[in-house]
Amino acid sequence: MAGLLDKRLWIVSGKGGVGKSTVAAALALRSARAGKRTLVCEVNTQERVSRFLERPEAGPEVAQLEQNLWAVNVRPQEAMREYGLMVLRFETLYKTVFENRLVRQFLRFIPSLQELVLLGKIMFHLQEKLPDGRWRFDTVIMDAPATGHAISFLSVPQVLIQTVPPGPMAREAQKMRDLLVDPAVTAAVLVALPEEMPVNEALELHAALRDKVSLRTHAAVLNQSFPERFTEADLEALGGHPELLAVAQAHHDRAAQAVLAGTKLERNLHAPVYPVPRLFTPEFGRKAIEQVMEHLEPLVTGAA
Amino acid sequence: MSTTALSPALAGKRVLICVGSGGVGKTTAAAALALRASVDGRSSMVCTIDPARRLANSLGLTALGNAETRVPATALEPLGVHPRASLYAMMLDMKQTWDELITRVAPPEQRERILSNRFYQSLSTALAGSQEYISMEKLWELRRSSNYELIVLDTPPTAHALDFLDAPNRVLDFLDNDAAKWLLTPALKAGKLGMSLFNRGGYVMRGLAKFTGTEMLQELSNFMLAISSLNEGFRERARGVRQLLEDPNTGFVLVTSPHPERMDEAIHFHKMLKQHRMEVVSLVVNRVHPMPTEALWADAATLTPSRRAKVEETLREQQIMAEQDRTGIAQLQAACPGVPIVQVPRFAMDVHDISALWRTGRYLVGDETLG
Repeated sequence: MAGLLDKRLWIVSGKGGVGKSTVAAALALRSARAGKRTLVCEVNTQERVSRFLERPEAGPEVAQLEQNLWAVNVRPQEAMREYGLMVLRFETLYKTVFENRLVRQFLRFIPSLQELVLLGKIMFHLQEKLPDGRWRFDTVIMDAPATGHAISFLSVPQVLIQTVPPGPMAREAQKMRDLLVDPAVTAAVLVALPEEMPVNEALELHAALRDKVSLRTHAAVLNQSFPERFTEADLEALGGHPELLAVAQAHHDRAAQAVLAGTKLERNLHAPVYPVPRLFTPEFGRKAIEQVMEHLEPLVTGAA
Repeated sequence: MSTTALSPALAGKRVLICVGSGGVGKTTAAAALALRASVDGRSSMVCTIDPARRLANSLGLTALGNAETRVPATALEPLGVHPRASLYAMMLDMKQTWDELITRVAPPEQRERILSNRFYQSLSTALAGSQEYISMEKLWELRRSSNYELIVLDTPPTAHALDFLDAPNRVLDFLDNDAAKWLLTPALKAGKLGMSLFNRGGYVMRGLAKFTGTEMLQELSNFMLAISSLNEGFRERARGVRQLLEDPNTGFVLVTSPHPERMDEAIHFHKMLKQHRMEVVSLVVNRVHPMPTEALWADAATLTPSRRAKVEETLREQQIMAEQDRTGIAQLQAACPGVPIVQVPRFAMDVHDISALWRTGRYLVGDETLG
């Protein structure tokens, strides 16, 4: 099994609240430690990755967090400006067209335009080169939106290719799509919790990415898994302590749910599933991210 | 027995709207509230947006569709309670609701043209805020056309609080867009877009066309033309929706989980609701871990060493989770002064049967409390 380190674009998605940003931050840290110049992109959201890593917020401009690690919060307004300048070439033309209040209002209604420029900025950084010809970033990690938004976000190039007449938008979309569907470049990592809804959403997301984006699921991460602790004998022996039994039973049920969820994911995704145990740290900061990172080691390196 | 702020709201409000980020249990809270109100004697309707069939199943229905469906009394039998009023449920199908709305407000000869237009397709399915808009529109329609004493609305999982409250404005902007009119009117009049490239917006239009392609502008102008007759109707309805949201008989229930990230969003959401002068009846913190009691620790100390170690480790973990939740709730309370907070514990398994819904309701109104 190839590890993520062989790929350049790592896309992390899943249901809201499952820990996508946690996983993205852990993966980013690991990639940077492997000596890869790494950029982690959050998409128009409250920034989390920089906070988890206990660094100042990156904001809408690419900012270095530490050695080999950069972050950016990709936001529509700035991305639109960069894109507009790219297409229209001239600052004055850009200003006339895009800084017209009415045009700005109008542009909000063009379907998928916002997604196009957000995705476009990320794909631009993926192809950016240094003066000496090397990639500016070896690894680009996309902390993608949650399921439904992720599907429409990542389908944008395909949708545009089908609907937009030839021109700058169509050309951009084609380039983006080629990179997204290339398994040598891109890997999707789906995050779930060991609960019914997040697992079902991961399966839906998997099917939609396969069918609408031609994007294969590389692996799944089962976050906040409870490891098994109590044997049947333990539970039986607690029969005389009903309240403690309830505590043990609850733990036992959660552990069983994790096993079930892992099996269901593996069977339906045809991809490996990496459990990350529920961490019991009062503060969820850099230390916790490093712990998560250790559990994701085989996902990153591909070692069994 | 204590009561929470939700108890008088269930008895007195006509509309309750459950809001909050995705995955915090809005749907469960909405269903639990409507169930409770019907048992207490007010005819109720829960309108949910959950794509899963589980809620339907837990209410004893094989499926929930875009129509109001009465929850059968047999579904409530396991509770051992006899509802004194009817309970209805429906699951909002966004696309279908949009189509129904257009069918209702558009002149017959325009309907097909609108329904098949690409911009309409994106408005009804993808435009940010359109789901929020249509769910409120449905609420307004239900409120006007039905006699339920209480309607509980579940809302779409919103990425940003702003999307929700801004939704009516954004959709109205879309439908009644000065920019589009200014740019496209000459084209609309001439019947073809090419004309306007040389007109007042010419320079700007040419730049735009370079960006989007001419065809897209053409199609948008067709759409604008087709819907221009609907604007007055939409505006009137939007005013109705806004009035309903500000009505003293309407209350918001802000649902969150005790996770720090969700809390941040809840605080932001609360601020937005306040700014829009909308009443937050209560904050519901869902899936709270209860603090293990002293008695549990004492009991654990009597176990054989290996079991004791396992149990104590589990209690320690629970304690950490309970402490995290407590800290989060204290921060939430500090950030939203004066807003009552109701806590619902994390149940051992996912909530998806009628007893679990009922039990959730007991915590919501204060029959049972945490800690």
